[in-house]
Amino acid sequence: MENLELRATKYTPAICFDCENHVLEIIGESYPENIAEFYAPVFTWLEEYVRQLGDETVAVNMEMIYFNSSSSKVLMDLFDLMEEASRVGKSFVVNWIYEEDDDDSLEFGEDFQEDFEDLSFNLMEKKDFMESVAEKKTNLF
Amino acid sequence: MLNELYDFKKDLNNRGVFFCFSGPVSQDLLVEIGTILRKKMEFEETHNAIVLRVFSMVVEMAQNIIHYSAERCPREGYKDELSVGIIAVGYDNGHYFVLCGNRVFNNNVENIRNKLIHLQKMDKEQLKKHYKEQRKKEPSKGSMGAGLGFIDMAKKAAKPIEFDFKPVDEKFSFFSTKIVI
Repeated sequence: MENLELRATKYTPAICFDCENHVLEIIGESYPENIAEFYAPVFTWLEEYVRQLGDETVAVNMEMIYFNSSSSKVLMDLFDLMEEASRVGKSFVVNWIYEEDDDDSLEFGEDFQEDFEDLSFNLMEKKDFMESVAEKKTNLF
Repeated sequence: MLNELYDFKKDLNNRGVFFCFSGPVSQDLLVEIGTILRKKMEFEETHNAIVLRVFSMVVEMAQNIIHYSAERCPREGYKDELSVGIIAVGYDNGHYFVLCGNRVFNNNVENIRNKLIHLQKMDKEQLKKHYKEQRKKEPSKGSMGAGLGFIDMAKKAAKPIEFDFKPVDEKFSFFSTKIVI
């Protein structure tokens, strides 16, 4: 299967789903007029990905600067899919990345964390996340 | 109108309104309005979290107009019809506020009124719980999004959402809301 890469627009986030390295990233803002139209291919890809996924751990990095209320529902459906997969032995680790001063984003993250008890769900301040990524890179060399 | 334009602008400014748009609203227009409002608030060194909160209210309000306004241009059911409404953003007494107005059909008034009264009675914890419950449900019939817009706004607002309905004629009412951030 191929990676899914969608460039960010003013009202849709960048989608970088890498099925070789098992890193799924959603970065940016989400408030499209037609929510279903934008996210349908994202879910189609994910369902196929989960089907062929083995025992690898998948890192899901969510860095949403802003999302509207209908996108919040989509995010819930997304985590639902990952939680269901986790229950049948697949391994997902979600990193909810928020800016230090963005209380609303932190609260959204906490609410998702509460709602998805069977999903490994981390809340990470952006600077800590960047440091952890840098650390991983140094360890590689 | 020409002679009154300055007075009209002064009146808006006296009420703290620094942005006002009345007419057809589209997604592209919303993006531009959002961009310029964010820029303005950033120039004024508004806290980032507040900027995002004001922006989020404007997005929900504008998308409510786009999806639900009963005033359509050139008319209802026309291909690529435009949705008409009014949006204003201001600053008063240390708080930003967003005003939004559009026509609704008279037979929807009671439904909207009941939903908003229900939200007005809830405190922050109840709103949070209600939001999470609604998010799990399938959106109600006629909803174009997730049916979460007003709950999301109430949750982020500093005060309960204020609203008003003015009868227009036997078919329409004018629905106004005010959110204080």
